[in-house]
This record gives sequence, C-alpha cells and structure tokens, in this order.
Amino acid sequence: MNARVIDVSDLEYGPADSRSLLWWGNLSMMVIEGTMFAMLVATYLYLRTVNLDWPPTTVIKPDLTLPTVNLLIMLLSCIPMVIADKAAKRGDVTVVRIGFAICIAAGIAILVIRSMSFAEIGYKWSDHAYGSFVWTAAGFHTFHTIAATGETALLLIYSFIRRIVKKHLLDFRCTAVYWYFIVIMWLPFYLIVYIAPYVMRKERF
Amino acid sequence: MTDEQQLDKTWGPPTGPFAWLTEVNHKHVGMRYIVTAFFFLILGGLEAGLMRLQLSRPDNNFLSPDMYNQIFTMHGTTMMFLFAVPMMEGMAVYFVPLMIGTRDMAFPKLNLYGYYVYLAGGLFLYVMFFLNAGPDAGWFAYTPLSGPQFAPGKRVDTWAQMITFTEMSGLIVAVEVVVTVFKMRAPGMSLNRIPLFVWSMVIISFMIMFAMPAVMLDSGFLALDRLIATHFFNRSEGGDPIYYQHMFWFFGHPEVYIIFIPGLGFISSILTTFTRRKIFGYAVMVASLVFTGFMAFGLWVHHMFAVGLPQLGQSFFTAASMMIAIPTGVQIFCWIATIWRGALTIRTPVLYVIGFFVIFMIGGMTGIFVASVPLDWQLTDTFFVVAHLHYVLIGGAVFPLFGAFHYWFPKWTGRMYSEKLGAISFWLLLIGFNVTFFPMHILGVMGMPRRIYTYQSQLGWGTMNAIASGGAVLMVLGILTMIVNFLVHRRTGEPAGDNPWGADTLEWGTASPPPNYNFLHLPTVAGPNALWDAAPDQAIVEGLALDEREILVTHVLDAEPSHREELPTHSIWPFIVALATTFCLIGAIFYAWIFTVGAVITGFTLIGWFWVEAVKHSAEDPEIA
Repeated sequence: MNARVIDVSDLEYGPADSRSLLWWGNLSMMVIEGTMFAMLVATYLYLRTVNLDWPPTTVIKPDLTLPTVNLLIMLLSCIPMVIADKAAKRGDVTVVRIGFAICIAAGIAILVIRSMSFAEIGYKWSDHAYGSFVWTAAGFHTFHTIAATGETALLLIYSFIRRIVKKHLLDFRCTAVYWYFIVIMWLPFYLIVYIAPYVMRKERF
Repeated sequence: MTDEQQLDKTWGPPTGPFAWLTEVNHKHVGMRYIVTAFFFLILGGLEAGLMRLQLSRPDNNFLSPDMYNQIFTMHGTTMMFLFAVPMMEGMAVYFVPLMIGTRDMAFPKLNLYGYYVYLAGGLFLYVMFFLNAGPDAGWFAYTPLSGPQFAPGKRVDTWAQMITFTEMSGLIVAVEVVVTVFKMRAPGMSLNRIPLFVWSMVIISFMIMFAMPAVMLDSGFLALDRLIATHFFNRSEGGDPIYYQHMFWFFGHPEVYIIFIPGLGFISSILTTFTRRKIFGYAVMVASLVFTGFMAFGLWVHHMFAVGLPQLGQSFFTAASMMIAIPTGVQIFCWIATIWRGALTIRTPVLYVIGFFVIFMIGGMTGIFVASVPLDWQLTDTFFVVAHLHYVLIGGAVFPLFGAFHYWFPKWTGRMYSEKLGAISFWLLLIGFNVTFFPMHILGVMGMPRRIYTYQSQLGWGTMNAIASGGAVLMVLGILTMIVNFLVHRRTGEPAGDNPWGADTLEWGTASPPPNYNFLHLPTVAGPNALWDAAPDQAIVEGLALDEREILVTHVLDAEPSHREELPTHSIWPFIVALATTFCLIGAIFYAWIFTVGAVITGFTLIGWFWVEAVKHSAEDPEIA
C-alpha cells in the first residue's frame, strides 16, 4: 500500500521570527542567565537579613551622577536597536548597520562610564561581603555587556565582508533581543547598588 | 545515487584524520556521553569499592584518613556530576530526536561543544586527583570547611571549577532538548502525543535551566572567596556560610529529581512495550511529572534540618517533602494499572523495572523517616542517610537505566543481548545492592556516622560492615556480567531487526542501528503510541532537501508543519572553543588573571565558530546584501 505524502518543499525557508530554532535557543539562554541574575539579587537580600548594618557603616552613599547618566544611555540605546530590529524584519540591511553602529558606540560608552563610576566607589570586593556582592554583580553584568557589544560588532563586520542571506536577518534580530535583555538586567542592580543605600539602608542605631 | 546514499552522504560523518573530533551527529555525541558517563560510573564504583574495603573491618588502615576523605568526595562528585546527570543527558541526546521523528538536535555544534566541556571537566578532576589535589570536603563542599581558612591548597578549587564544567554542559543539553522537542516534532505529534520518556527529558531540562545556575553561582562564590578573597561565606565580614547550603540545596534537591525523573521515563517506555498496552492515565502521568518538577524547588531545606533554622520553616518543608509522595504514588499506581490491564512479558528490562519498584519503595519509606524533623535529627549524618540516598538514587535511576540499556541495546547495535546473562546480572545486582545497603540502615540507627575512615571494634559495627562489603562484591560481579553481555553480543548476538520488541515509539520505526539521517522519510504521527496508532497508509513527509542538512520545523502545540531550516554540519570549532574554555577555567584557579585572558581567547575562537560562509540555499533564499 502506498503511504500518503505531506510535501513540505513549498514551506517557507528559515523565517526570521519567533518561530525559528535560534529564537528559542536565544530565549532559553536568557532564561538561564535571568536565573543567574535573580540568584544574585537573592544573594543581596539574603545577606541583608543576616547583617545588622547593610551596607556596612563604612560604605558612603554613592554619587548618582555617572551611574544615572549611564543608565540613561543604556535605556536610550534600545531605540536604535529597536529600529535595527524592525529593519531586519523587513530586510533593510543598511538601517541595521546604522543601528548596530550606534549601539556599539553606546556599548563602549557604557563600559567606559561604568569603569569610571567603579573607580570612585570607595571599597573593594575583599573589604566586606557587601563589596564582594557589588563587585561580583557589576563584574557579571559588565562581562555580559562586553559580550553583547562584541557580538553586535562581529555581526556588523560580518555584514560588510560576507554575503548576507535571509538567515542572517534572524541573527540580527536575536542580537537585538539579547541587547534588550542586557539593558533590562541592569535595572535591579542599579536600584540595589545606587538607590538602595539611600532608601533602604539598614542600620543598627 | 539513491535517496538513501545521498542522505547518508549529507548527514554522515566527515572524512580525514581529525574527523572524529568534528562529528556533530546527535547519535555520536549521545553515545559518547553514554560511554564516557559509564566509564565514570566504573571509576566511581572503584572508589566505592575502596571505601568498602577500608570499612570492612574495624581499625583498618588500608586507606589513610586523608586519602579516605578524597575518595569519598571523589565518589560522590563522580557519581552525581560525572555519571548520573551526563548519562541521562546522553540518553536524551541519543533518543529524543529519534523519538520525535527528526534528524538531529536543534544546535548540533553546541551539542558537541557541551560534550567536550563535560569531558574536560571530568578529566580535570581526575588529573588533579592523581596529583594529590583531589577534593576532600565532601560532594557538597560545605563552607566553612571548604573555605580558604580550613581548606588551603587547590583541592576545593578543583571541585568548584569541575562544577562549572559539568553544569555548563548540563545547561547546553537542557536548551537542546527543550528547543528540539518544542520545535522539531514530527507532524501530528501534538503535546498530548509526546512519549513519556520525552516528557521526562523536557521536564528535567526545565529543571536544569532553573537549578544549575544556582550551583554555578554558589561554587563560583566559593571559588571567589578562596581565590580573590571575597567574603560571601565569611561570617566575620558580613557573609554567611549557611547561605552556601541554601544555594547548594536549591540546586541539590532538584538535582536528585533531574537524575530520577528520566528513570520514570525509561520505566514508562519499557512497561508500555512489554505490557503491549498504552500507558494507563497518560495525562495524569504527565501532570505528575510536571508537579514533581515544580515541587522539587520547594523542598531544599529538608537537607538542612540539623542546621538550626526557624521551626515554622522546618514544618513547612516537612509538609512539602511529604507531598512529593503524591505525584510519585500516582505514577506507581498508573504503572500497576498498566501492568494489570496488559499482558506483561518478563524480559531483562522488565526485571530491572521490578527491581526499581522494590528498591525505590524502600527508599521512599526511609525518605518519609528523614523528612520528619525529629527523626532527621537522630539520623542526620549517619549511615542511615547513606542507605536512604543509595536506595533512592540506585533504585530510582540506576536500575531503570540498566533496564533501558537492555531495552535499547538492540536499537544501538542491531543485535540481541543474552537474556540469560541479563537475568544473572539483574539478580546479582538486586541481591548485591540489598546486601550492601540494607545493613547501613541498621548501622545508622546504631549511631555510625558517615564519612569516618575507620571505627573501633568495641563499637560493634564490624559485622554489619563486613556484610555490606560482601554485598559490594556481588554488585561488581553483576556489573561485570552486564558489561560482558553487552561486549560479547554487540557483534555476535542474534540480529534484532528494526523492532524486536514490537514497541510503539518512533525510534523503533527505523533501522537498527539507526542510519545517519535517522529516517528516510520523516514520519507523521496519529496517536500517543506512534507506531501502534499509525494508519496502514500513514502519511510520510517529503520535499526536504537531500543534499543539505535540512529539517522540518513544526509548531509548538499541535506540531503542524511550520517551515524548513538548515542545520550546521560538522566543524572543528566546538573542539577549539572547548579547549579555550578549558584553559580559561582551569587557569583561573592557579592565577585569577588567566580567567580574563582565557575569556578573551574564548571570545576570539567563537568568531571562528560563527564565521561560516552562508550556503546559498536556492532562489527562494536570495542574497540580501
């Protein structure tokens, strides 16, 4: 007997949207890293419960200027990324390149300003558990920011050197989604490291 | 060239002297996981044998206290991190694509990378052990014992960094399984038709994604405390050693279920086949697995009852621990109903399932003991706990796993094993296991603490320990019988044919061993038991390219065809990136700055990984820029 046949040769090839494998892989990676970031926040809250002074009394209230400017740059960098994302969706590589270039510049600015703000933070990771947390959390996020900026730069260079076919549009879009993720993940740490010492300082006396 | 030859060429292994380093096919990667994990099982078993030899009589001085500390740590670490989880992952990597009717996993290069990272972590641990730098603070390395103050040297650093390797590989497989199962199922295999084995792998993959980050962070904090003087677990500088335990068991309890839920999947596969009846209560079974997966994250404090935590918290975690008996009980009753209404054929895989019932039931009973705070305070850190955890893990995971080995041996090799040797290995293991571990309950109640290298004869523990050591000999014989059975019949057994058991899942619908491309035509599915429910003219999929690695992607819920995608082919880059990762992670425990250098090198090797020429697919995939 002859089997019936489902012919799939007419189906679309490699769509650049949420149906594709890479999109799901990217989501899964963000779930894993999001869990990591959440555990870091939990670490802060746990250590706060077991200490009478949190942050320790030696930690002065941080200056908010540079970190806030940096946060604004991060949030604003999402705008060119959204534009690049939309352009990738419709296949406009030129706009993608422009958006990516702006984001790479933003990424470098973010890293430079962050190192400046950490140079003036006034304590080290080896001073107390609070310092350990702040430096580890910031280091972890900075590592991710470097990776996201590097990934964007690599794709930009690639787009000039190699042929771009439809599946690369998906790469552009996944990079954009990862960029949003990295920006959003800094929000809790901004609140914890810079705002919490003002609004939820825990003191024995 | 016929279609078969063309597909074989497309999906087959590469040629050349270093081709074996580059092969990404999921069956090769899966088999490497399985063989490597089995090798570590033997190493872990040898360590157990050394411990049993040392404890077989009082005042023994066969092993020094220091060596004994290293051996029991290596045993636990090997079994949990290098055998149990990677073995289950290997089974998933091998069988998930076959069972859902596709040609490979979603990210083949990543898959191979995950294997190399796991292998590097395992080799690293053993090289350090042979350099007398094996970890010696127990498989959970509690602070402050494992901290910089009480554990100088590199021993605990080795342990902490081995965790990074194995958990990275675990996370990789988890992502692979989730995406493969959600997006690459054969048309018609809607969510309510996925085999229970595949469900179990999906559920542990989600558990891995939420549990393993915790232990990576935890062992990372430990390494930072030790290497660059942070204070996460240092009470005098505002840290907290108890937090280490919380984070460890937030991973550690789910880990137990990550090991044991695949066992439930094996059992469902085996029982369906050998009762020749579809599983009783499929939907309830899936719900129980999901419920177990969720509950696993709400139990961790029952490992910490003796720490001194608030009583209300202890009561809550006792109740939650008791609750886990509900989904497990539901599944056991469903299996009994399946056996009841079917016609059970007793073959070696079924024997192992029966062994599971017996042993796991006892382990579950003692679980209720140690989940109660008053009893736990009496029994914690005694041999009773050792007995309990071996009943649960060997009963819940290893017996189903050995059953699965026998069940799928014909699929792997195309040959039948010997039923006689299979039965002998089963009885040796069942008897040997109980003779080894049952006396440990009694020893625990008599007050023998775990992790002591010897004891005085007047304590009266000698007889029971001697019996336990004798049982270990039987277990060794059982495993040897199994290995001989497999090695001998791998080439000389009776030819098995495609489906010697008349089983229902898709992997039995292709040749044994499966061809490189898995299926000549991707199958479609008409019911929860794919092969049994197939219509005489069940549809097949056509129209996928033969000359490139093209696969069919389907929708998440109903598995209707969505689109086609191309998978990457073999590549040397996963190996190179894994080498760079290994340099980065191992170097970091000697000089912290190597982590930065290694990360940069790894980043650059990743460029090589990504820098592949886009294959111009066809006119429908035009060049854009």
